[in-house]
Amino acid sequence: MERERLTLRHVVLRFGFLIVFAAFFVLFSVWNPVFLNGGNLLNIVEGSAILMIVALGLTLVVATGGIDLSIGIALDFGAAFAVVAMSGYGMGWFGAACIGVIGGSLVGLVNALLVVGLRITPFLATLSTFFIGSSVQRIFTNGGGPISYRRMPTEFRNIAQGDIFGIPSEAVIAAVLVVIYYIVLERSIWGRRIHAMGMQRSAAIVAGIRVNRILVLCFVTAAMTCAVGGLIAAANIRMFTPLSGFSYLLDAIAAVFIGAALHPRGRPNVLGTVAGVLFLGMVANGLNLMGLNFNTKDALQGIILVSALALAVAQRRARTG
Amino acid sequence: MRAEARLSAWLSDLVGYLPLAILIGVLAYISLNAPNFLTLRNLELVLMQSLPVVLVCAGLAVVVMAGGDDVVSGGIDLSIPATAVLSAGITAQMLTLGYPLALCAVAALVACLVVGVINAALVSRIGMTPLLTTLAMFVAVVGVNNVVTASRRINVDHPWILALREAEIGGMPLGIVLVVMIVGTLFVAAHQTRWGLNLQAAGGSRDAAEISGINPGRLVGQSFVVAAVTGFVCGFFVLARGSGSSPGVQDNLMLEMVLATFLGAAFSPRRVVTLWGAVLGAVIVAAISIGFKSMGVNVFWTGLIKGSLIVVVVAFSAMAQRGR
Repeated sequence: MERERLTLRHVVLRFGFLIVFAAFFVLFSVWNPVFLNGGNLLNIVEGSAILMIVALGLTLVVATGGIDLSIGIALDFGAAFAVVAMSGYGMGWFGAACIGVIGGSLVGLVNALLVVGLRITPFLATLSTFFIGSSVQRIFTNGGGPISYRRMPTEFRNIAQGDIFGIPSEAVIAAVLVVIYYIVLERSIWGRRIHAMGMQRSAAIVAGIRVNRILVLCFVTAAMTCAVGGLIAAANIRMFTPLSGFSYLLDAIAAVFIGAALHPRGRPNVLGTVAGVLFLGMVANGLNLMGLNFNTKDALQGIILVSALALAVAQRRARTG
Repeated sequence: MRAEARLSAWLSDLVGYLPLAILIGVLAYISLNAPNFLTLRNLELVLMQSLPVVLVCAGLAVVVMAGGDDVVSGGIDLSIPATAVLSAGITAQMLTLGYPLALCAVAALVACLVVGVINAALVSRIGMTPLLTTLAMFVAVVGVNNVVTASRRINVDHPWILALREAEIGGMPLGIVLVVMIVGTLFVAAHQTRWGLNLQAAGGSRDAAEISGINPGRLVGQSFVVAAVTGFVCGFFVLARGSGSSPGVQDNLMLEMVLATFLGAAFSPRRVVTLWGAVLGAVIVAAISIGFKSMGVNVFWTGLIKGSLIVVVVAFSAMAQRGR
């Protein structure tokens, strides 16, 4: 009897998050059969593409032991630079996309300067980058009005609205980035160095890892990745909406930490982040299909987020003892 | 050699005073350029404007005291502004439905305590990091508040709530007197009582506290409940300041709370978050915001100014720390 209960508890804790994932999946499909429709499942993946890209960038920074609150700004900058390059300077789609990514990397450079150069903690450094970046956007757009460019080249629009063999191109871009991030962060020597400095910074320094160089590269890479998300956002609605990146910040943090909690040693990792993003995307989509009032949906989403995080952390602690 | 050491110690002391000097310099610059900035009436306005931020900063300072001041792994409570908005939302909605103020306050207090207890349970029982817990709770609580208020603005004209803004007691505005009393109580509790000393010991070194028989987990939990109560009180000041509850107040409140509290750390000799530092930080942030506004600086620039201030102040205090 005692043993039985112990094993049941064990099962729940070992696979708790998977069970919840599955439970929500079943609940949503029973509630509204449309949920299970292949088209809708593709919708979830497509709708999660930008969040996935932003969360990947954040995973990289969190793996170094820091945090980046300015990922939304990098996204905005990516969109703004690309749109202005096309509308103001008549650049081609590829050039504009490159300019967008370079523009986003500026945000990462500022973060790196503050964290590595001035030794400000990443939380406060990226918070100030957030303040400054938001303000720059307000000044540039004269208060935050969108910059629209309806005559955007088709190729640029296809970054978000095209498809490759029937799969939406934004999902393809996100998938490619997931593969690259997985290889670099989980399967290469660079990834080992990043994780090493995230776990034991002083040990990593003693071991001869060039911590500062890694930090700079990670902040800049993360910002460039988020800028790619910004390109997709701009291509999707054919305009740059200032300060729109902020809405991804909380979800990205949640996804990264759900992913970290799923890892046996609690490390942020690419596959965990993917699971976190898909979970959030599924919940948002499922609640939408339930036809709930917008506010109720928002509240439920928040409550599910807290519960899922609590469960994921409890599960990890039970496993590691 | 000795002279050199003395010189470098003197230099680092000098650098240590720079954050405060810079802020005072900024305020001096403002008062030179906005002639009526230093009038009594305007300073009162600054204080009144800062009250909600002062309250949430005081709550946050208690949490940081108990959990340690590492921003990512130590104590932090980002959900206080959401708690404040929930308190305001519940009160405003129930007042509109015709319930008496006392009943509204009790309902709001219960809701806020629930938030505090959930934070405490998630952090001390389950072992989630406070940053993550309270960020997720921020989202959840704001969501619940949007259900309560249906994301609409609700006007409040209850005389007792407006009294927080307008009434005076012995020539001093009632709101300021109340907040000073609350912060004073928190200060006494955190610095003069056994509980407060245990709290600081837990935050200073968790392991050492545990070895000497203190239960840090429980103290951290209690600090979240205290923070939730400050959030509850702040709700009423939010109602008074805005003559009601409006959606979206929480975002700015959160940013200002974090800015002010960690700016405040630069004023303490050991560069740690303190109650007075946090309160002073909140007042200075309000003074700078209002000051630049009355100088006629475009409001779009305020984020830039605030962000640069964090960078300058925190960078100098990091430098002073290193020189030591």
